Amino acid sequence: MNNAMEPENDSRISTTIDEALQSIGSATPTSGLEGRILTRLASQRMKMESAPVRFPLLAGLNRSSRIPARALGFVTSCLLAVIVVAGSVSHSRKLHSSQIVAPPVLVLPSHGIGAASAVHSAAPASAPVPAGQGARGRSSRRSGPGRARIAPHSRKAPGVAVPAPASDNSQN
Amino acid sequence: MSCFEGQLAAWVAPAHQKTVSTTQTIATLVAEYSTALYRVAFSVTRNAAEAEDAVQETFLRVLRHESRLGEIRDYRVWLVRIVWNIVLDKKRRAKTRPEGEDLADHARALPSGDRPADASVISSQEHARILALIDRLPNREREALLLSAVEELTTVEIAAALGTTESSIRSRIFRARRELALLLEKEGIPR
Repeated sequence: MNNAMEPENDSRISTTIDEALQSIGSATPTSGLEGRILTRLASQRMKMESAPVRFPLLAGLNRSSRIPARALGFVTSCLLAVIVVAGSVSHSRKLHSSQIVAPPVLVLPSHGIGAASAVHSAAPASAPVPAGQGARGRSSRRSGPGRARIAPHSRKAPGVAVPAPASDNSQN
Repeated sequence: MSCFEGQLAAWVAPAHQKTVSTTQTIATLVAEYSTALYRVAFSVTRNAAEAEDAVQETFLRVLRHESRLGEIRDYRVWLVRIVWNIVLDKKRRAKTRPEGEDLADHARALPSGDRPADASVISSQEHARILALIDRLPNREREALLLSAVEELTTVEIAAALGTTESSIRSRIFRARRELALLLEKEGIPR
């Protein structure tokens, strides 16, 4: 009984769906639709023709020589790109000619294979430290007249020849 | 001269030769496809005024892109795609507005038959309920089913308008009908 009902039910549902779809598929517009559309199109065209052209030169080009605006835009952008590239190249050439930059100094390690010590830029030479007042270089400490100085009242062992004591002027 | 021809002449008069040819093309398109486009729009909006607005908007877009008219291979598919996008946009924007409540529109949509008026109204209400169920279907299935309802469109044209293959459209319609039948069984639509 149930099986016999199913095909009938299916066809009934199918018919219902078809009818509902037909109700929208065969909808008819109110009369005069074409006329209303054409009227609106006519008014729109009048608006378009009376509106001022924003870019008259481009519009004229487009109309007269049939150059599409896209092609025109493409050519313009290509020209701009060429100008930018040429400008940057000439600028970098000027920079090179006026300012020669020495390549960085590489200090190769004299021994060892340490990767970390392989490439190191040389440390900048430190400025000489100015000498303080009264200070002398280590080499100049022993320089001088080459004679030992002996205090005037020093006692001498008998039989030892000593040079004459230095005067006060020579001490300073 | 009919009213239609008079309007056409008034529109054409001030334009130059090229414009005349495109104007005539557009006028031909209006005469040939406006009813089919109205049905496509009505299948989504279910409202006569909104459907007519969508059709008018479609031809305004055609007018704005009249320079491209020569490149179009299939006007019907092109126009259906335009009106379809317009009505879907409108629907997206006005999601809050309930659909299918305008019974007068449904009554107008019904083919004039031998049924008495009360039977027509009951049938219209029933159809409105079924259309509400159609709205619960998944997007792709619903779109294929609604476009298949438009008499003028073949499966190939529906496929072209939706940007898919004919076999895909067939399977979508089949799935949509099966799903709809299940929903109808659950709801128990009286007959």
